[in-house]
Amino acid sequence: MERVDLMRSARFRAEREADWRRLEELVTRAERRGMQAMGYAEARDLAASYRQATTSLAIAREISLDRALLDYLEALTARAYLSVYAPQERVGGIVWRFLTATAPQAMRRSWFFVLLGFLCMGLGVLVGYLLYLENPAWYYVFMPPSLGDGRGPDSTTEYLRSIIYDADPDASGLGAFATFLFSHNTRIAIFVFGLGVFACAPAILLTFYNGLSLGAFLALHVERGLGWDLGGWLSIHGVTEISAICIACGGGLQLGAAVLFPGQRTRKDALRLAGHDAVKLALVASVMLIVAAMLEGFGRQLVQDMTTRYTIGWCVGALWLAWFALGGRGRSA
Amino acid sequence: MIFRRRKDKKKKPGIAEAGTLMPPEGVALNLAIAGVGVRLAAQITDVLITLVAMVCILLLMGLLKLTGPQTFFAVAMLLFFVIRVPYYVVSELAWNGQTLGKKLMKIKVVSHDGRSLTTHALVLRNLMKEAEVFLPGTLLLSLDEATPTASLIALGWVGMVFAIPLLNRYRMRLGDMMAGTHVIHLPQPILLKDLAAEKPVEAEKDFVFLSHQLDHYGAFELQTLEALLRAEGNPVTDSALLSRKRTLAAIVEKIRRKIGYAEPVPEHDHARFLKAFYAAQRGHLEQRQLFGDRRADKHHATNGTETEGAE
Repeated sequence: MERVDLMRSARFRAEREADWRRLEELVTRAERRGMQAMGYAEARDLAASYRQATTSLAIAREISLDRALLDYLEALTARAYLSVYAPQERVGGIVWRFLTATAPQAMRRSWFFVLLGFLCMGLGVLVGYLLYLENPAWYYVFMPPSLGDGRGPDSTTEYLRSIIYDADPDASGLGAFATFLFSHNTRIAIFVFGLGVFACAPAILLTFYNGLSLGAFLALHVERGLGWDLGGWLSIHGVTEISAICIACGGGLQLGAAVLFPGQRTRKDALRLAGHDAVKLALVASVMLIVAAMLEGFGRQLVQDMTTRYTIGWCVGALWLAWFALGGRGRSA
Repeated sequence: MIFRRRKDKKKKPGIAEAGTLMPPEGVALNLAIAGVGVRLAAQITDVLITLVAMVCILLLMGLLKLTGPQTFFAVAMLLFFVIRVPYYVVSELAWNGQTLGKKLMKIKVVSHDGRSLTTHALVLRNLMKEAEVFLPGTLLLSLDEATPTASLIALGWVGMVFAIPLLNRYRMRLGDMMAGTHVIHLPQPILLKDLAAEKPVEAEKDFVFLSHQLDHYGAFELQTLEALLRAEGNPVTDSALLSRKRTLAAIVEKIRRKIGYAEPVPEHDHARFLKAFYAAQRGHLEQRQLFGDRRADKHHATNGTETEGAE
């Protein structure tokens, strides 16, 4: 009887209030325990009441000036929206999908940038190598003093050899693993990827510089006739680690390219689009770096034979290549 | 279109920042954007939580003799890294855009385009956090007088990280921009009672407002009055009660003069008068609104022609 006297908006509210309360209750339950824990009927009711609430909100905005009602409906609809459209994936499924499909697909899609990354590194190595042969003083320019373990043009060949084949039991195991992971190359990889955003140049320069020091290092050993031994020492983890840096560089370049050449899109949109693959490249690079650190921390001290070092290093490299080339072909995603 | 957007922009400053989100249902939601301060607080909470977890595991490892003094620092760094990177991604995935720190601060990550948060977006925004938050953080910790250039670069980076969210309306950091997300205050749905629905019969009997008397005010004044009447119910001290009575009297007097309500209102009836006026005014405005005559505020008559042109 009383309802007749109410104005339209108050009547509107009185008729629907029970439904809103029900939705409120469902939303609270979904937020507290997750949608997975809800029964079929409840989940269905949640979605249906949410859509009713959006309609109510749209109508209320037209017919009501009751701020309390508008605020409540807006907040309720927003909460319901957030729980209805919550991500429904499981962590395990995501990791599996990344490994079997999306990561190799992303690698194949951005082959050009990865190639550019390898090119930067390769050119750096070549230039560093040739410059060292021209004048060994370049070694001090390229090589950060902390990196070479005191190795340089002044050190004796015996000393160089002793470092390559040295089983120091203290330096292996978990501690060494951690040390290596946070050593120079990981930092370089992070920088190379992150700096790519700033129009590519820092990423290219840094990768090139990294190549320079590697080239000079290589030339030092080749000059002393230790080229093959150093190759083995580097290969066991370096194939993976240096590839990781190049891939990180590729990801950074992709971001930088989106900033430099956004095409028809705005820079923000282009960056977001490029981020899809770039972030996968960064993840691949980090996985590779972790594997490299394991190889470096455990493998290099245990395996002292040159041929075995080569075999392990390049076999792991071939495995990476196989993953990138063959992974995720089966599905049409 | 262009003109209307400009007008909107002019109105915006001053009002609490609210971003519009368009869910697939097509009814726009206005949600308050979380500021830099509250997000920093959530971030610090998260860092503390992960740090505590790291220290616990480290102590355990120390007890089990898995780590020695010379590798202690490296292992600590590794553990912190290994814990924090999945922590953000997994917690935001599992709790729909909330880490523990964000839960505490009642803020939440939402997708900028109104769709559901994707795994990609969450991974991206949290990986960028490494570059945006932790890298400059560790750089700041390792500041050194001996390397002024490196320190300057680190400072510049930190400055940039803080400046970017301040420069855009949605307070997005770089990772948010790339992932297409922003952070909102979680809205609290609290349904207050309908003022107009309280004993309407009784109130309307005593005070009668004519149609022309209700033409003076718009929605803004109505909702201000609503807020005032809602505050009326709160318990107060004696001194505050006195000032409240004075305010009520002043408002009643002002309204009476404005709408030309001749009959004087006795003091004990002030609250009831305002309630009746609120109900009558709301009924009137809502009716006008149904006929397509939206009245935003009391200036609706003066700039009425302009808004008509725009509509």
